[in-house]
Amino acid sequence: MTTKRGALYLARLAMVVLVATACSMSSTSQGGGGGTGAMRTSMSEPAGAGNDWMTYHGSYQSWHYSPLTEINPDNIKRLQVAWVHHPGRSTRGLQSMPLVADGVLYYTGSYSRVWALDAATGKPIWSYFPKLNDDLVAAQTHSPYTRGIALGQGKVFVGTVDGRLIALDMKTGRPAWDTKLVNSEKLTVGFTGAPLFVKDKVIIGSQGGEWPGRGPIFGVDAASGRKVWEFLTVAGTEESKKTWGNDSWRTGGGGGWMAGGYDAESNTVWWGTGNPAPLYDWAGFEWKTTGPRPGDNLFTTAVIALDPDNGRLKFYHQELPHDAWDFDSAVGEFVMLERDGKKLVVHPNKGGHVFVYDRKDASIVNVWQLTKHINFVKSIDPKTGALIGRRDLPLGKHTNLCPAIAGGMSWNSGAYSPKTGLYYKIGQEWCMDLEVIKTTPVLEPQAQLDIGANFKLRNPEGDKAHGHLSARDPVTGAKKWEVMFPEPPLASLLATGGNLVFVPDPRGMLRAYDAQSGKEVWSHNNGIGHNGGIISFAAKGKQYIAVATGWGSLVGDEFGELFGEPYKSMPKDAGAIVVFTLE
Amino acid sequence: MLGILALTVALSLGPAVAWAQDRAAEAAQIFASTCGFCHQDGGRAAGRGPKLAGTDRPDDYLLNRIRVGKEGAMPAFGRAFSEAQLRALVVYIRSLKDDAR
Repeated sequence: MTTKRGALYLARLAMVVLVATACSMSSTSQGGGGGTGAMRTSMSEPAGAGNDWMTYHGSYQSWHYSPLTEINPDNIKRLQVAWVHHPGRSTRGLQSMPLVADGVLYYTGSYSRVWALDAATGKPIWSYFPKLNDDLVAAQTHSPYTRGIALGQGKVFVGTVDGRLIALDMKTGRPAWDTKLVNSEKLTVGFTGAPLFVKDKVIIGSQGGEWPGRGPIFGVDAASGRKVWEFLTVAGTEESKKTWGNDSWRTGGGGGWMAGGYDAESNTVWWGTGNPAPLYDWAGFEWKTTGPRPGDNLFTTAVIALDPDNGRLKFYHQELPHDAWDFDSAVGEFVMLERDGKKLVVHPNKGGHVFVYDRKDASIVNVWQLTKHINFVKSIDPKTGALIGRRDLPLGKHTNLCPAIAGGMSWNSGAYSPKTGLYYKIGQEWCMDLEVIKTTPVLEPQAQLDIGANFKLRNPEGDKAHGHLSARDPVTGAKKWEVMFPEPPLASLLATGGNLVFVPDPRGMLRAYDAQSGKEVWSHNNGIGHNGGIISFAAKGKQYIAVATGWGSLVGDEFGELFGEPYKSMPKDAGAIVVFTLE
Repeated sequence: MLGILALTVALSLGPAVAWAQDRAAEAAQIFASTCGFCHQDGGRAAGRGPKLAGTDRPDDYLLNRIRVGKEGAMPAFGRAFSEAQLRALVVYIRSLKDDAR
């Protein structure tokens, strides 16, 4: 850092401290009605965000729920487009979750472009386009989308695909700090997931499943941008290093690439981790002793509980020991609720099972199956979480492995409504044929993937590939209602206090359902598929729904070949924020 | 399987036999590590990316596309692979039998 930049940095830091102080003062004087007062209460209140939507999952409890009731099944016929905003360069569609604070909507487009707009009118207030390493972006496989941002201390926090975490002043969009956390030039990967603001820290996880990185999760001081801690999800402790035979931890993986949840009561951050590399392991049944990564491969495909103050591991549960299918735990939803006096957290795994944990130690309370077509295991013990009847995949050809590599669930979040007590979640039904190939383990970082098989997606035996939305008891999995989709929706869901569930579907329809009955009550054609976020907020006394449109996620890229039109010709370089309100 | 592939590739190339034998197996491995994620069934079927078996694109076009990629669709692998590996990948693609034809 040059002297000039250093001085500038100090000046900005002083400004940041001033803003932070002003915000905390406003919270005292306005009793939580504005400034960071609203920020603090909105994020930690189980009921969700009130007028605002302050954090990726709607609240620390990952409910994706807005308590607003103005829009409901009786009046939803009058729901109309209020405004639209086009960020431009929406490569792979808009995948982000907008946030709203005090009447301003903040969101990120591809290439980490950040916008602040008047939430009632869409009028731009400021924008920030970071200068990225274009050569690096061109070499990245999982890029250039950005899934979201975090708010706190009067700043907007955004990660970049070239490995930086940037803080912008909420009022002006000017950078307060810009910290390089990942050597993306060497490791290829950076940040695509949203950060999580907790207390005085910004927590963000790196990409990394198919690359030889160690999937770090970072805790960064929100005021200064200084890295306070780093937790390595691959062999981050002496104990876990022993679960990678022959020093195979160097093949890496384990990226915690989606924002997790926070349990304020016990001061615990819950985070999910990615798969180990290579995805497919030719050792097959012999995986404990031989192959490219002998052993359980901790802490990949696991949920981990961290102390946000120092990044220390409190406890964990590895959902799939020695994941040999790319059914990772990186899904960021940690739905926190209470049942019979027990504090629980519900976490979906990509393989199609939903894990229910006791929040005190990640012990298993239940495991239930969301999707029908699963044969990578016979079952998962609902009492212990142990995998029963693993289908390990030795060298050679295998047919009808279910689900397919794209998973029984993807990273897009479900929603939980405290009013109905139901958990709304998308399931994906598809399978694949594959040939596992012995490859040379990739131990040194280079700009390439580490897969270890050739595969082809297919219909499940005796069925057709499809998706579904179901409303279930989040603890037992008991199904109340279900809606079938010819192709799996790939966007996050929204539940509201107005007894509604919104599903942005892949063909481009935004659909609303009665949260109790599952009856479709409204739909609107956005003209392009959805693979991003959806929120609700209030501005100037009115309730709004904001949805990200645009198509081209890596899962969506499979649709053209599998389902044909409209996906074969659907653009992958467009997308907008579309905002609705009652006319 | 790989041996047969290498042999097939080698026989079809005439003067480049030795070179192809060295590279074909490696190319098949690289493909399964990196390329098969998008070009399904080892390049014999479309997926996220197009089917490669039977492509009518010239060698130079394929080489260039692997090197520099295509924004929003295909990453650039010019930094990841050596020139010899890039050429071996093209040989691998040419060796794929196009069942649909």
